[in-house]
Amino acid sequence: MSLLQVRDLNVWYSLGEGGENHAVRDLSFSLDPGQRLGLVGESGCGKTTALLALMALLPPTASVSGEVLFEGENLLNEDIARGHRWRDIALVFQGAMNAFNPVRRIEDQLIEPMLVHKSVAADAARNRARELLEMVGITASAGRRYPHELSGGMRQRAMLAMALACDPKILIADEPTTALDSMVQAQILQLVSKLSDELGLALLLVTHDLPVVSQVCSQAVVMYAGALAESGPVADLYHRPQHPYTRLLYAATPDLHDDRSVVSIPGVPPRLDHPITGCAFAPRCDVALAECTTSSPPTVQVEPGWTSACWRAGGAQ
Amino acid sequence: MLKRLVFAVATVFVATTLNFFLFRVLPGDAIRNLARVPHASPQLQAELRKQFGLDKSPWEQYLLYLRQLLHGNLGISFADQKPVIDNVMQALVNTLPMVLVGTVLAIVIGIATGVIAAWWRGSWKGSVGTSTAIFFYAVPTQWLALVLLIAFAGVLPSHGMSDPYLLDDSWTAHTLDVGRHMLLPSLTLALTLYGEYALITRSAMLETLGEDYVLTARAKGLRPRVIVRRHALRNAMLPVTTLIALSLGYLVAGAILIETVFSWPGIGFAAYQAVIQRDYPMLQGTFLVLTVSVIFFNLLADLLYAWLDPRISE
Amino acid sequence: MSTPTSGGASWLARVLWRSTSGRMGVILLGIFVVLAVFSPILRPYGLDERVGGVYDPPSLAHPLGLDDGGIDMLSLLMEGGRMSLTVGFAAALVAMVIGGGIGIAAGYFGGWVDTVLMRITDYFLVIPSLPLAIVIAAVWGPSLSHLIVVIALLLWTSTARLIRAEVRSVRERVYVARARALGAGHGRIILRHVLPQIGPLLVANTVLSVASAIFDESALAFLGLGDPTAITWGKIIELAFLRTAVTAGAWWAVVPAGLCVAMVIVACFWIGQAVEDALNPRLAVAHLSPRTFAVRTITGRVSPSDKGAS
Repeated sequence: MSLLQVRDLNVWYSLGEGGENHAVRDLSFSLDPGQRLGLVGESGCGKTTALLALMALLPPTASVSGEVLFEGENLLNEDIARGHRWRDIALVFQGAMNAFNPVRRIEDQLIEPMLVHKSVAADAARNRARELLEMVGITASAGRRYPHELSGGMRQRAMLAMALACDPKILIADEPTTALDSMVQAQILQLVSKLSDELGLALLLVTHDLPVVSQVCSQAVVMYAGALAESGPVADLYHRPQHPYTRLLYAATPDLHDDRSVVSIPGVPPRLDHPITGCAFAPRCDVALAECTTSSPPTVQVEPGWTSACWRAGGAQ
Repeated sequence: MLKRLVFAVATVFVATTLNFFLFRVLPGDAIRNLARVPHASPQLQAELRKQFGLDKSPWEQYLLYLRQLLHGNLGISFADQKPVIDNVMQALVNTLPMVLVGTVLAIVIGIATGVIAAWWRGSWKGSVGTSTAIFFYAVPTQWLALVLLIAFAGVLPSHGMSDPYLLDDSWTAHTLDVGRHMLLPSLTLALTLYGEYALITRSAMLETLGEDYVLTARAKGLRPRVIVRRHALRNAMLPVTTLIALSLGYLVAGAILIETVFSWPGIGFAAYQAVIQRDYPMLQGTFLVLTVSVIFFNLLADLLYAWLDPRISE
Repeated sequence: MSTPTSGGASWLARVLWRSTSGRMGVILLGIFVVLAVFSPILRPYGLDERVGGVYDPPSLAHPLGLDDGGIDMLSLLMEGGRMSLTVGFAAALVAMVIGGGIGIAAGYFGGWVDTVLMRITDYFLVIPSLPLAIVIAAVWGPSLSHLIVVIALLLWTSTARLIRAEVRSVRERVYVARARALGAGHGRIILRHVLPQIGPLLVANTVLSVASAIFDESALAFLGLGDPTAITWGKIIELAFLRTAVTAGAWWAVVPAGLCVAMVIVACFWIGQAVEDALNPRLAVAHLSPRTFAVRTITGRVSPSDKGAS
């Protein structure tokens, strides 16, 4: 039984003067308990929008359709979603300076959701906060500091601690390592994996960084231009990609162990304020067929748990 | 902190120097233009010159001026022959309560309106709040005072600070009397000021509501009212407080106009009368006091901001 | 704060027309300007023409009543508009030149020029404007040109700071560096590169200055420091005050003049806001609002992508 099921999620952003951006298009995927899923794609592909939609955090300029089912309830509703926020699904943003309130101490921000959702006494909450900080590898005294006094890595860990405050079932991490240097990156990723194992957390990792996904996740959902390109086990996606975009994405990633040269994908992603005919990736695809430009590709199930939205799926890429 | 104090003191010094030179350097002989005796005989003019040290060299005059200043001697008013410092102090004491009440009212109404306007942004409720704020911000202060006078003619006293014919001599009666006289001037000040505060607050709130930590707060499942109060408002108050504190220094402009309409015997009215009566020492004295108050409030605003924002380390 | 703008008059026109507030501001201001310019022709009665008694109330013939000299208030008001707008625009223009000049010099040349100019600006900012204006006007003597200069002195500081900040960022742009490398002189660079970029901001600021100028003029006139021969809205209010319109209950001698000032200021405010918003698009997203995102029913909407065979 899936913990989280996203079905046919569509998100539109209205622009000034009547136009709109179709930012997420018919996205479907599911997350099982304890599973680690990566949501991958280049900047602007809609992954952040999708994750905001999951918790009903979209701005008033957005409109949605589809379903986001958590234990059977559709979360695309402010009141329903609010009941589950942080308690069941917690978010870790990029630990940028402003994800924390700059004028309040770290500890205060950690205990805030505990006081609201779990009605514990302030003392008990503070103790728990200190435990959490130690769990993520920071000294408990750091809680008395203000966000700007912490380094980027420490802030990211503090965000993690805050997310775990109410023992959620799902942890969604948005680009958790992008702003950090590679050493700290590795530490954070290890930490996240460890926590997910120890606490039985389901993990949804949203990133543009493929190696990160390969390291931490078992499944990946590759997005392009707001829609699903391919979704399946990480190892299979790497060795036998069933979508040219997945293949090219891996080819474009520098690999220390591999001598091959890095090939970037030519062209730019399509605009989302006009309807797209055919496959969105066709203009940049190196193996496009005639059908690709005229009709939308079907969602092909390559194997159970492995789908690809490509006319060529199942055959040679 | 020390740096700011030093800067403030330096500015006061510059202001006093400017004060001195302003009256000697502007076109037109200061004495002839401003002295109360425009057609004085040459002897009287010479006498006045001597009395105010205008027959000495500018440098000597400047030093004399500074020395007198340090002794608290601001000269003698032409109009009533009393020491300027006494007149100015009395006027200041009269102005403060009226301005205080008006300002506090303006801050409370302004911030409340601003928060509501930001919350209801996009809907008609927000637009109404914003539009009325803009309107009161735009109307000339003295006009508003006159309109209120006309509106409340006969209901509230129209001039002065107290009733000279009050029979009951008790402290309560006197206070109530002053209170009644203070209602319209303070109300005018409040209405004139609140618009700007409302717009500042609204801006700051909108800015704050768009910040990442507000999204974090929402993601934490906090209810909207709690988010506004505990996160948005607290952070928006930072720039709002500074801007309000800064604006206090410029309160004087409004005070002059209001006090003139209502003949409220405060520092603004004193300045106005000094101009009308060409009372040069009073003019210089009031101007100095007004300038120093602005510098003082700017310093206060700086210190307040540093105290409120933990990001600024000393 | 600055976004790369296309600058220029056409951009300005587009921005103003596109936003509701900008459009309203332009129309409102336009009405006043037209009435002001053509007031000698349009006004129903003469400015010295006695057509009735002291403070006659409004009637069909005189919709805004008469003043204490029996003169038609509507005509006075129109003349007031002409003078007030003249003073306002002139003072704003002078302030724009002074403030813009100082801002450009400080921002472009930097170094000690910047320090000196900004110190002067800071001190000017600290001195309370109205008392300063009062003192200068009192000592210098009342006349229209003096008044314009005095008001401009109250306005230029904010312009200077704004322009300086903008010029500093423009100076760092690639094409300026390129022009310098190619040997272009300072004057040429300022004229052809800096000015077009800061143009819209300067215009927005000047429009807001007009509003302040008219406001300040009314204050100065009220205190008896305006030009005694010119009839401005401020003067109308002053005369009403001095000639006991209040005790006579002649609200028509007071109310319309103030409303006119307010309307012009609001119009300028709308215009200035529209330009500022275009230059600095604050996130239209407020993460918090009683309204959240809209949910579309599946029946009402078919997603643009064709659903192919699964």
